[in-house]
Amino acid sequence: MSLPELGLLFSVLLFLIGLFAVMFRSNILFQMMGIELLLNAANLAFVSASKMVGNLDGQVVVFFVMTIAACEAAVGLALVVALYRERSTTETDDLTLLRG
Amino acid sequence: MTTFVFAFLGILALFLGVFLITRRNPVAAAMLLISDFVILAVLYGLLDAHFAAAAQVIVYAGAIMVVFVFLIMMLNIPNEQIRFTRVTNIEWLLAFVGIVAAVIVAQASSLGWLQTAFPNAARILPNAPSENTRNVAALMFTDYLWSFELVGFLIIAAMIGAVVIAKQGRKH
Amino acid sequence: MTETNMPIIVQTIATVLKIFVLLGIALQVAPIMTWIERRQMAVTQRRLGPNRVGILPKLFNNWGFFGLGQPLADAVKLLFKEDFFPEGVHKTFYFLAPVIISTTAMMCTMGIPFGHSVVVFGQYIDLRPVSLDVGFLFLFAMSALGVYGVALAGWASNSKYPLLGGLRSSAQMISYEISMGLALIPPVLIFGTFDLQKIIALQAQGFWGIFYAPVSFLIFTVTMFAETNRLPFDLAEGESELVAGFLTEYGGMRWSQFFLGEYTMMFTLSALSTCLFLGGYELPFVTHEMLLSFVQKLTTLDVAFAQWIVVLINLGVLILKSAFFLLLFAQVRFTLPRFRYDQLMRLGWKVLLPIALANVVVTAIVLGFIRF
Repeated sequence: MSLPELGLLFSVLLFLIGLFAVMFRSNILFQMMGIELLLNAANLAFVSASKMVGNLDGQVVVFFVMTIAACEAAVGLALVVALYRERSTTETDDLTLLRG
Repeated sequence: MTTFVFAFLGILALFLGVFLITRRNPVAAAMLLISDFVILAVLYGLLDAHFAAAAQVIVYAGAIMVVFVFLIMMLNIPNEQIRFTRVTNIEWLLAFVGIVAAVIVAQASSLGWLQTAFPNAARILPNAPSENTRNVAALMFTDYLWSFELVGFLIIAAMIGAVVIAKQGRKH
Repeated sequence: MTETNMPIIVQTIATVLKIFVLLGIALQVAPIMTWIERRQMAVTQRRLGPNRVGILPKLFNNWGFFGLGQPLADAVKLLFKEDFFPEGVHKTFYFLAPVIISTTAMMCTMGIPFGHSVVVFGQYIDLRPVSLDVGFLFLFAMSALGVYGVALAGWASNSKYPLLGGLRSSAQMISYEISMGLALIPPVLIFGTFDLQKIIALQAQGFWGIFYAPVSFLIFTVTMFAETNRLPFDLAEGESELVAGFLTEYGGMRWSQFFLGEYTMMFTLSALSTCLFLGGYELPFVTHEMLLSFVQKLTTLDVAFAQWIVVLINLGVLILKSAFFLLLFAQVRFTLPRFRYDQLMRLGWKVLLPIALANVVVTAIVLGFIRF
């Protein structure tokens, strides 16, 4: 297999790992790390595709994804701090206020 | 040789990923995630995306994850308080397995798909590694200028949002 | 200027040799600088400082040759201290933290070019171990990873003061890294490349970068202190508030690894600043060709040999210029008092960042008017 094909394969597997963390870990910190893995898998796919197709558009998109990851981390972590202040927990399962 | 290194690093990245999501200690997980990012940066480098590799280390490993680690250390949650899995039910597991199966099938059947989907894209640029930064920048500030501006706007909005959330918490 | 058409074994040997040269320089900085600092500090504060341990104790009977043997004695002492894990530390990270600090610092050093390209068997060899397209961004990336060493040391020690030190340091490093990165953009805009060797060549043809981007130079110099956790920004250690900050639980060789990392990082950032703002390894007003022909005339040697003499001169010039910054580090250390933490944050976010941003915008506008 060529490098970009391998890269695409790895990106898919990495995406699944991240998805697993988001779906099955209950701690919000781990879920956010899972989201970072998802975004990175997307980045790897973009870079591989860029190499495969032979133009640079994929590499440009990588920067947009990184920016979005930075936004997500900033807002998400601020929310985690607020959550920990209010409820002193980081477990998503404990957030049952809306359930009544 | 390059393929071998690439495959080795990729498999290492996957193992680190699996290792990371099965940790109980968030600091250990964050450190594994950082090493994963660095390995991914090397993969980008091997795929001739040098500037993306540098940005990966600087932005992801050097900025976003510092905030992560900072927060984890600041909250300093005892390991016992971190539960491993959510209260999960069989539907979720089935859904995940279904996704995995679908993805594997899709992956296996579509490896040659990209080349046929973009046969010699119109905007081919010389992708010599020595000019990578210049070419990416040229593309980013011509064809993607509006996306770039929008993303810049988005990050300012996110920054203000984060400040607002942090300030609100302080009033209590 | 590429090395791609060389056999891989030659490339490997060349790279290893280059790594040895740079490591040889960078690792000497820590012992020599400690001696200089302690002597200079003693002179400033009217104390004696280390003046006993001599290299040739018999010859200079009681005087001890200015105590030059002190770093050596220190190193031996640290080597023979017990290697221990305090109770309750997270062992893996307690072990890893100093390794991360020293490794990233040495990796950083690998991005510094220490001489003009030489021609060996008709092939150009760039005199720097890492020649990537991204140039000094590599160096910047590695220095960004260094913060984890400090943060981890604070966390793994499982103790109050180190944790505070680690937290302070990670917040400080994020704050100042932004200004540092922004300060480096004007030189990149002006010279149009990330490649340090090209930047140095352009400076040799024109003026030093400090004349093109003086504000960048000032900001970079200030942030350099913050990035290496040196006074007046050493709040991560802050012995009057936090015992020794993140270093509190460390001793022996682990402690000296932190020390080595810090001084290597100081040298690297000094060398980077030299390359960007002070003309790098080139002599002022003398281009490489002039120097080469001068050396050839003086020694009546072939180009193949004369270029190595030029490389030695380049190396000497780089070290001298970096020494200026290193001495500045030392001088500032016992001239300025430590900042308070809120003052540090205010300086970083409310003074340096706006100035750096304005600097980028103004440089871009001026360049736009000049070029178009």
